[in-house]
This record gives sequence, C-alpha cells and structure tokens, in this order.
Amino acid sequence: MLFLVLARKSYLRNLQYRGAHLVHNIASAIFGFIYISIWTGIGQSHTLGEYGIDGMVAYIAFNQASLWVTTFINNGLGIQQSVRTGGIAIDLMRPVPLFYQLMCKEWGQIAYQFIYKFLPIYTLYIFVLPLQVPTSMLTFLWTAVALALAAFISICINFLIGAVALWTMESGSLFWVNYAFSMLLSGFLIPIEWLPGWLRFISHASFYPFLHYVPTRIYLGMESPWTLIGSLCWGVLLLCACLLATHLMRRRLEVQGG
Amino acid sequence: MKWLRMYKLLVIASLRSRMQYKFNFWLTAAMTALVSVVEFLLLAVILTKFGHIKGWSLAEAGYLYATLTISKALYRSLASDVHHLEKYLVSGELDNLLLRPIPVLLGLMSQNFSFRIGEFLQGIALLAICMRMLFLEGQLTWAAIPLTVVVIGSGALLLFGIGLLTATIGFWLTRIEQLQNITEDAARTAVQYPLTIYPRWMQGLLLTFIPVAFASYIPSLYIIRGQGGLWLIAASLAVAVAVFGLGLLMWRLGIARYQSTGS
Repeated sequence: MLFLVLARKSYLRNLQYRGAHLVHNIASAIFGFIYISIWTGIGQSHTLGEYGIDGMVAYIAFNQASLWVTTFINNGLGIQQSVRTGGIAIDLMRPVPLFYQLMCKEWGQIAYQFIYKFLPIYTLYIFVLPLQVPTSMLTFLWTAVALALAAFISICINFLIGAVALWTMESGSLFWVNYAFSMLLSGFLIPIEWLPGWLRFISHASFYPFLHYVPTRIYLGMESPWTLIGSLCWGVLLLCACLLATHLMRRRLEVQGG
Repeated sequence: MKWLRMYKLLVIASLRSRMQYKFNFWLTAAMTALVSVVEFLLLAVILTKFGHIKGWSLAEAGYLYATLTISKALYRSLASDVHHLEKYLVSGELDNLLLRPIPVLLGLMSQNFSFRIGEFLQGIALLAICMRMLFLEGQLTWAAIPLTVVVIGSGALLLFGIGLLTATIGFWLTRIEQLQNITEDAARTAVQYPLTIYPRWMQGLLLTFIPVAFASYIPSLYIIRGQGGLWLIAASLAVAVAVFGLGLLMWRLGIARYQSTGS
C-alpha cells in the first residue's frame, strides 16, 4: 500500500519535532484566544444571533483547532522547493502520479497535526473555556467526514498553488493570500451570514465555507450533514483541476538548479 | 554616520540582488498588501455590523491597527533578517557576517532587504481615512499628526527591540521560530485590538512581560481618546528605548557566546 507507506513516513518525520510543535501550540492557542476575546468583547453589548456568547466561543474555538487540519498544511505541498532544487523532474518521473504521491504524504502530515495540534489545542480550550461537547456519536462521525473533505479540498488548492511555481518560480505568497481569503470567506472568524452582501455572495460561490463554516456548524449541531454534498462536489471539481494541472506541468517542466 | 552610510550601501546592494527577480519582488509586495487589507477587512466587517467593540469605533480601531501596521513594516524593512536569525544560526551562515568588517547586527539588518511597500501603502491609506473620520468628529486636533509620527517611530523601535530580544535568545536555544510566534506574531496581533477586550492577566502580560501594548494602544489612548496625558507618549517612548537598549545588551552577550554550527 503506497498510500500507507508515504503517509506513515511523513507522519514519522513530523514526529521528530513534536516538542517544538507543542510549544507552537501555545502560540496557536493564544491566537484563538484573541479571536474569542473579540467576540466576548462585542457580546457584552450585543446579542450574537443564534449563537449567543457561548455559541460564538465554541464556534471560534473549534475553528482555531481545525485550522491545523484544514488550512495549515504544507505550503503548496512543497512543490515550490522542488522546483527550485530541480527535484520536481524526478518527482514527475516517478511511476506514481505527482498528485497522488504528494497527497499521500500530506495525509500523513494531517494525521500528525490532528493528533499533536488539533487535539491538544481543543483539549486546552475545553478546560479553560465554557465549551459544550456534542453528546451524539453521529455528530462526531459527520464532523470527521466534514473535516476530512475540507482537508482534501485544501490539499487540492495547495497542489494548484504549488503548480503555479512551475511558471513563476515563486508561489509561497499565494499560500498566504489563500489563507487571508480563507479567514474572511470561510466563516473562520465571522459566521458567513454576518458578512456584507457582496462578500456573502463571493463566499457562497466559493469552496471556502466548506473549510470551516460547514464542519464547525455540523459539530455544533446547527447544520444538517446533507450540506456535505457541497464539499463532495467541490472535492471532485478540484481533483479534476489538479489532474489537468499535472498534465500541463509535464509539458512545462524546466529544470532549475543542480 | 559611517555606519549609516555603510548600511545604506549594503541595503542598496541587497535591493539590487532582489530586483534580479523583479516579477517575484512585485508579486510578493502585492500579495502581502492584499493579505494585510483582508486582515483589516475582518475587523471592519465586525465593526460595521456591531458598531463598536468595548466603546471603540471603527475609526478608532482602524487608527490602532494602522499605526501598528506601519510600525511593523518599518521594523521589518529596516531590520529584515533579524527576524530570521534562526536560519543563520542553524546553517552557520552567521560566520560569513562575523568575518565582515562591520558590526554583525548591521550586517544582519541589511541582508535580504525587503521593502514592505504593500504594508506601508495599506497602513498609510487606512491611517489617513481613519484620522480624517476622527477629525470630522472633532476627536483629533492638528497636534495629532506629529504625535502619530512619533508613535509610529517609537512603535517600530519597540517592535525591533522585542524582535531583537527574542532573536538573541537564539544564541542559547538555536531554534526560536516558535518563540517568535508567541512574542512577535501573537503579541502583536493581540494589540491590534483594544486591550480592554482581554482578561486582566492577559492585559498585564502585554503591558509588562511583552510590553507590546506600548507600541500603539497606550499612546492612542491619549491621542484619539484624550485619556491620561502627554506622559503616556513619553512613557511609550521610554519603554521602547529601554527594551531596545536591553536588546542590544543581550545581543552583545549572546554573540560572545556564539558557536558555529553547520559545515
């Protein structure tokens, strides 16, 4: 099973740095805490819609932890570096499609981040914040499916970001542009229904809501699992785009460095 | 003076090497500006929907955000690779700088010069809009303009000081990226918003342990909200100078202890 081998290797590689990563979790938890403070600050003089203060705290806390599954994956799946070193030529030559090998590695990384980042951060929040954990196993199951689909969408997007490097040599900053748009349009900090009309329109026309808004609302029991059909459609669409991109990349390849 | 001239020469050389990849240079500048705009948009959306956060209006919160953005852009432009000291420590690249006949810190500051034009433009535009709004509401007087310039400068010095202190810890720990994430990124993000939204212990941390609240929040209290007095600005400046001085001192201690790694 190539999938398992690659995923496992990438998981084990990350495991070497788990001490540093745990320190990093403190920073990540603080960021979440800042966002939570913004909402509790506003919640003191306003009612926060269907969420209420506690609901918004739970919403942001879950979003902050799930960043490590759905957003903070390898920048461009590492394609930019291999373009610079010339390693991309070898990667494209391997008897496994480029997208498949990179995706397998990324799943290993995501599994690692789920265990060593998502879980510690969320556990911390459970202790220090007034969080309600769902009681139904089914909710957990659907949340897991939603997060997995979100992770897949994110892998595809990062593959496309990395692919740009074959033309421009530089694609690292696109990762941060994607991150910024995701903060705004995915409902990460502001639930989508509170965005002004034009932003709401853009958001609904994009895949972004399926990264945070949908998984988190399913987790909080505010959304029916049927919305995941949307995640699935975007997943298939983006997969096709990635396969097309691989095809174009083979024709575009230039070996840099040495 | 001699150092200033040397710094200028090194920066120009560094800029020239960067401009070999013109397209990348402008792409990166445009992208960072876009990221910065979107970040502020988040706050703007919340504030236009809910009116104010703990009594801070959109224009006031924007002022806070803009001054901090410009300060950060100044610090990261003038001292670009101080933030990336870890790279030098891990690869042993610092050896190259030690061999040069210039102070190591100056060498580091002029490496990989990145003029953060995107953040400057975004910060200045936002600041102009917010100050105009505050003028029209009669919250500001003309004295606010020179004071704002002082605040931006002292904020940049403070951020540099905090960055330098964190970086020098690298001489002992080598790996500092995670620490920088806490002392530089998280702390700065926290003070982009009015400090009163945080619980007491966190306010205390941001005023003492990592005193980044003095970069823009404390002076803004006086400039745009008329609280306290001119001494708030003097205090902010004093904190900035003290932190930066401590940073320089630690740098000297640290570099004496530097052991080369890498091959």
